[in-house]
Amino acid sequence: MSSAPDATLNAEYFDGRSAQAHAVQLRVQGHELLIDGDGLALRAPLKRVRWPERQRHGARRIVLDDGTIVRCADAAAFDRFARAVGAGDSITVRAQQSWRWTLAAVVLLIALVAAGYRWGLPAAARAVLAFVPAGVDERVGDGAYQSIASWLLKPSTIAPDRQRLLRSEFERAIARAHPRGVGHAVRLQFHAAPRLGPNAFALPGGIIVITDELLQRLPERNDVVLGVLAHELGHVRQRHGMRLLVQASLLGAATSMAFGDFSNLLAAAPALIGQLGYSRDFERDADDEAIALLRANGVSPLVMVTLFEAITRPLPRPGAASGNTSGAPAASAASSPREASARAQSAEFGIAFSSHPPDDERIARFRAAAAR
Amino acid sequence: MSEDATITPDGTATVEAPAAAAPAAPPGGYRLAMRFSGSGSEYFRIWIVNLLLILVTVGLYYPFAKVRRLRYFYGNTQLGGEEFDFHGSPWKMLRGFLLMAAFAGAYALATNASPWAALVALVAFAAIWPALFRASLQFRLANTSWRGLRFQFLGTTADAYRAMWPMLLAMFMYLGAAAFVQPKGQAAAGEPPAAMVVIMLVGLVLVMLLMPWFWYSIKRYQHGNYALGPMRTELRAKAGSFYGVFLKAAGLALLCMVPMIIVAIGGSVLAAILGSGKSKGAGPVIGFVLFGGAMVLSYVVMLVVAGAFVTSRLQNLVWGSTRGRDVKFASALKARALAKLTAKNWLLTVLTLGLYIPFARVAKAKLLIEAVEVTTRHPPQVLTAALRGMGGDAAGDAAGDLLGFDVGL
Repeated sequence: MSSAPDATLNAEYFDGRSAQAHAVQLRVQGHELLIDGDGLALRAPLKRVRWPERQRHGARRIVLDDGTIVRCADAAAFDRFARAVGAGDSITVRAQQSWRWTLAAVVLLIALVAAGYRWGLPAAARAVLAFVPAGVDERVGDGAYQSIASWLLKPSTIAPDRQRLLRSEFERAIARAHPRGVGHAVRLQFHAAPRLGPNAFALPGGIIVITDELLQRLPERNDVVLGVLAHELGHVRQRHGMRLLVQASLLGAATSMAFGDFSNLLAAAPALIGQLGYSRDFERDADDEAIALLRANGVSPLVMVTLFEAITRPLPRPGAASGNTSGAPAASAASSPREASARAQSAEFGIAFSSHPPDDERIARFRAAAAR
Repeated sequence: MSEDATITPDGTATVEAPAAAAPAAPPGGYRLAMRFSGSGSEYFRIWIVNLLLILVTVGLYYPFAKVRRLRYFYGNTQLGGEEFDFHGSPWKMLRGFLLMAAFAGAYALATNASPWAALVALVAFAAIWPALFRASLQFRLANTSWRGLRFQFLGTTADAYRAMWPMLLAMFMYLGAAAFVQPKGQAAAGEPPAAMVVIMLVGLVLVMLLMPWFWYSIKRYQHGNYALGPMRTELRAKAGSFYGVFLKAAGLALLCMVPMIIVAIGGSVLAAILGSGKSKGAGPVIGFVLFGGAMVLSYVVMLVVAGAFVTSRLQNLVWGSTRGRDVKFASALKARALAKLTAKNWLLTVLTLGLYIPFARVAKAKLLIEAVEVTTRHPPQVLTAALRGMGGDAAGDAAGDLLGFDVGL
């Protein structure tokens, strides 16, 4: 390998005004690149010279400060010259030249994507949401309610007296647990929903829907119903629906950046709310909120355990007016009736209460809260 | 550096007549082949490092990644044995990128706030789109060099508006009315206003009817304003040729659906017959699976075949009718080859969960680029340019990303 001071390289120079190549010789002297030959004698400060990234094919090109180009078709000779004069590859280039580093980048990338999805995305969504006024929640929630109502919900057949009673009890319970308000206008809606079965769900902005099918399974247990509503109120207060939306939008933005096209994910907001499904974290937060509200109203968190039993049991009265006719074959319940019915009822609507089959962890949580 | 300057100050530099010493030009002119020497495995490493850095910097590395990608692709694209180079400054592009990101965010917010806000955003967007389009081309061309000469895009903003306004109007009718017909987040307002539905439908029909003309108009604007030194191009195609390509593509798409529909119907009939004899539940399920599978498959086949057809025919049409006083282009891209490659690229991209993307991009670039050939009347060395260093506006380049258009090739 030649030593630094007298390393030279034969190359072509393009002056940017003519397409004619000038045969030149390159040398480095001090902090300057010297370009000599064909009537030219140019000096360029090394700092302002853009060296090429090393690649397998094609000529090497140095771009000078003024946009003119030095080209060398002999890549191997160029690389020797560059190394001799100390113009090594940048860290980025060295990383991508080595397969080991590339592999490391792949692994790191996967780890980053996973970590970003698990922690970064929720944190970012929460930060973004801090700048979104509550009025937006309401508009989004109202829009989602209308589209959901048109394909899933029917008018309620619950006696008006019971509706009124539940409303007032819920309002009183909220006032007792959150004396300073919950930040959203909570609107309780009763609906028959044969396709959702015994269920309840919350939308951004304060709409909470509870199905007739659920109320029919809890005829005399308004305390249990209160537990359900408290859980849904937790989703509203923590703005889970909006967080889900923002997360989906951020995710869309990130993937479109990586794969190169922008699509308007927000346009699909109503459909998204229904289908994404709350995460386990969201369910846990909402459960905590439910426990807090129940305790503030002197109701034992054990009512939620009663609830899980009620919604996973087949209807007690066969031949009920608006019973669950399609799903949950009670006869073939040999394996696990709980799972079968939960899956049959909730597969099509992600955020509905029973879409996450109540697992032992959640039941244990309510039991522990009751024991405290 | 000043010994060979035969330049006029106004930028209309001249090609020096072939000197007496030069041999007589070959009868067909000088044929310059396009070659692409990029390699999938090499670009994979650039791509993965770029992706990583973009993620680590929460997106801010994007312009730098883009510059490295363009330098790689340009540096591996040879015309007559000489590579292209990209000179855009990533720092300038970062500014443009941030500007456009803010704009896109504001637009997304506005479209979701209310129909009126969406309408205002749409008008604003339509109003600046042609200007952004022009800025994007100007930046890209001004920062692309070959043999040390910078390209130029000479199209004016006024011409950009002239080329685009009919389509913008039609799209505005459709999207603007649609914002009122399907109000998001509005209280239940009953039936959408009938006038809006009519405007929306008229807009939609217009958009579809105008699409080929729009392509023609945009391509004429683009290809009529490329310049390298004294060479300037123009597009000598007719709008009718574009309608021909799009009509044939529509026919091809329909043709793709026919065998699949037959398979689907036959499958469900067969399943129904089988199902009636045997256990009761299986028949409809098999029919449904066959039908659904056939539909999905036919859709994918349609996208691949019709997409490859349109891409190849348009490239051949556009470049085949692009010429200047001393230069002409030709493109011989085969739809069949492109369809095969696209099918392979999609399949492998899905199977590798996206890791095949860089290989797919390189393979596609090679096929598209090497189909093109350039013929010049004078040897390319004698080209001279007057002005240098018109950088263009970096915001324009980011706008090109946002709107999803590229110089093509």
